[in-house]
Amino acid sequence: MFLFYLESLMAVFPLFLKGLWMTVAISGLSLITATILGFLAGIGRSSGIKLLRYGIGFYVNLVRGTPFLVQIFVIFFILPEFGIHLEPFPAAIIAMTIMGGAFICEIVAAGMEAVPKGQREAAMSTGLSRYQQVRYVILPQAMRTILPPLVGQYVLLVKDSSIVSVIGVMDLTRVGWLTVQRIPEGMLVFGLVGIMYFAVCYPLIQLAARLEKRMSVGESRL
Amino acid sequence: MLEYFNFRVIAQYLDQYLIGLLATGWISLVSLFLALILGTIACVMRLSKNRLISGVSAVYIESIRSTPLLTQLYFFYFGLPSIGININEVQTGILALSLNSGAYIAEIIRAGILSVPRGHIEAGIASGLSFIQRLRYIILPQALGVVVPPLLGSAIVLVKDSSLLSLISVLELTRAGQILTSERFMPAEGFFTTAVFYLVIYAALKVFSDWAQKKLIFREAH
Amino acid sequence: MINFTNVNKWFGDLHVLRDINLNVAQGEVLVVCGPSGSGKSTLIRCINRLEQIQKGELIVDGMNVHDRKTNMTQLRAEIGFIFQQFNLYPHMTALGNITLAPMKVRKLKKEEAEKLGREILERVGLSDKVDSYPAQLSGGQQQRVAIARGLCMRPKIMLFDEPTSALDPEMIQEVLDVMVNLAKEGMTMIVVTHEMGFAREVAKRILFMDEGQIVEIAPPEEFFTKPKSERTKLFLSKILTH
Repeated sequence: MFLFYLESLMAVFPLFLKGLWMTVAISGLSLITATILGFLAGIGRSSGIKLLRYGIGFYVNLVRGTPFLVQIFVIFFILPEFGIHLEPFPAAIIAMTIMGGAFICEIVAAGMEAVPKGQREAAMSTGLSRYQQVRYVILPQAMRTILPPLVGQYVLLVKDSSIVSVIGVMDLTRVGWLTVQRIPEGMLVFGLVGIMYFAVCYPLIQLAARLEKRMSVGESRL
Repeated sequence: MLEYFNFRVIAQYLDQYLIGLLATGWISLVSLFLALILGTIACVMRLSKNRLISGVSAVYIESIRSTPLLTQLYFFYFGLPSIGININEVQTGILALSLNSGAYIAEIIRAGILSVPRGHIEAGIASGLSFIQRLRYIILPQALGVVVPPLLGSAIVLVKDSSLLSLISVLELTRAGQILTSERFMPAEGFFTTAVFYLVIYAALKVFSDWAQKKLIFREAH
Repeated sequence: MINFTNVNKWFGDLHVLRDINLNVAQGEVLVVCGPSGSGKSTLIRCINRLEQIQKGELIVDGMNVHDRKTNMTQLRAEIGFIFQQFNLYPHMTALGNITLAPMKVRKLKKEEAEKLGREILERVGLSDKVDSYPAQLSGGQQQRVAIARGLCMRPKIMLFDEPTSALDPEMIQEVLDVMVNLAKEGMTMIVVTHEMGFAREVAKRILFMDEGQIVEIAPPEEFFTKPKSERTKLFLSKILTH
C-alpha cells in the first residue's frame, strides 16, 4: 500500500515542482517589494522627524504584535468590505510586503543607528543635506550591519509564504495539502514538501551565516 | 467607519474569544515549557564532543530551521494518523510548536554559552572549580544576560505561531475570529477583534520582557 | 566674522555656556583652552549648529546661526570643522572623502573636484595617499586628510576641536605644521587645543574658559606672562609643566 502511495506521489511530482515555483515566485517578488518598503521605512524611522518615527513605529508594532495568519485574513477578507477585491496572489504579495517591510524596517534602522555619530556630524558639517548624508555616508556604512540579518529575514519570508496557502494560493504547501487528501500518507507528502523547502532555505541560511562571519572579520581589520 | 462596527455581534461571540484566549494562553505556556526542556537537551547534545550525538541534534535543529512551521504542523497532523498514532489536534499542535521552538531555543542557549569568554572559563579551571561549579558560577550568570532577551522573543513568537493551530481546527484565538466571520459574514468584526486580542497579549509580554531585562541588567551591575 | 552676544546653552539642567560675548575678526586665529567640561568644545560646535543655543545671538559671516530660516547648507559650506576623532568616511578613499562635499554641495564636476582635491592633498603633504583608504593611514595622516576635506570646500572659517588630542605624540607636529601654514595664509581659525607652542606661534588671542564662562582672553604674550585671573594661573601651571 505504501509503495502504491509512493508511486502516486511520484506521478504528481510535477505538481509539486509547480508549487515550489509559485513559492519561489511569491517569496522573490515580496522580497523585492518588502526590501524597498523596509528601507524607506527604516530610513524614515531613524530620521529626526517625530511624526515619522512614531507613525512608522506604530506600523511596525502592529505587524510584530499580530500573527501573519491574522494579517492575511485581514487583507484578504476585510479589504473587500472597503470595495477592494483582491485575487489570492496579489493579496498574498501585499500581505508579505507589509509584514516583511516592518521587520526589514527594524533591521535598517538598527543598522543606521550603529554607524558612529561622528560620521553624521562630519557629513553635516560639510554642508551635505540629510538625503545626501544618508545616501553617501550613512547607508553605505550601515549595509555591513544590515546585510546578514536582511538575508536571515529573506529566509523567514520564504517560510512564512507557506501561510498564504490558506487563501488559496497554489504554493508548495497548498499542493501538499491538496495531495494529502488523495494520498493519505501524511509523512510522505509533507516529508517531500519539507525537503523542497529545505532545498531553498538551507542555502540561504548558510549565506546569512557566512555574511555574518565576514562582517565581524572585516571589523577587526578596521 | 466605527459606526458600522457591530459591537453587539462581538459581544455575542465574546465567550468564544475568551475560550480562544485561554486556549492560546495555556497552549503557548505548555509548548514553551516543553520547548525549553527540548531546547536545553538539544543544545547540550549539540555541544557534545561525540560526533553522533552532536550530529543528531544538528540534523534536528537544521531541519526545523529550514522548513516552515506550517509544513511541520501538517506533517504531524496528517502523518501521525497514517502510522497509527492517534492524538487529538491540541496535542498535535503542542507537539509541533514545542519541536519548532525547541530548535530555536537550542540555538539561543548555544549562543549564550559560547558568548562567555574563554578566558573566564580557563580562570575557573585554573582555580580548581569543577564543571558544575564553573557552570553555576561563571557560565550561567553571564550566559543568562545574553540568553534571556531572545528567549522572551521566542515566547512572543510562540504565541503568534499558535495561531496556525486554527488551521487544524483547534479552538484558539484565531479560530474564534474565523467562527464569527464564517457564521455571520462579518470578517471585519471577526478578525479585527482577534487582532486586538493578540495586540493586548503582545503589549503585556513586551512590558514583562522590558521589566525582566531591566531586572537582569540591575543584577549584572552587582 | 563671528559674533557671540549673550549666548547661553544648557544640556538639560547643566548650564554649559554662560553669557558668552565674543567677537572673532576675519583672518584672526583664536585658540581656546580650558579644563575638560569647561564648554570649549560646545562653544565651537555651536558655530556650525552641531549644538543649538537656547539664549542669545550668534552671527557668523552675517548669518544668524540659530534662526530657523537660515540656510544651513550655505552656512556650513563656509565653515570647515575638524574633529578630534577625524571622522573620515571609512568606505571612501582620501580623494573620495575630500571631493564628496564639493561635488554634492558646491556642485563641482567630478574632474574639477578631483583636480582641486589633488592640489589640496599636496598642500597637506599627502599627494601619494590620494587613493588610500583611512584604514591604511596613520592618525596624523588621517587628520591631515580631514583638514584637506575641510579646505576643499574653500571655507571662510576653519574650526578645530582638539585636533591633536587623539594622536600619538610623534604625529602631532605634522598636523600642527599644516595648521600653522593655514594660519599664515590668513585663514580665520578657532582652535580648541592644549598645544601652547602652536598658540604662541600663530594665535592672535588666547581664550581661557572655565565652567562655561570666558575667564580671560588676551594676546599670547600677555596671556602667558601676565595672566589676570587666579583660575588662569592655576590652569597654566598645570599644563605648562609638561
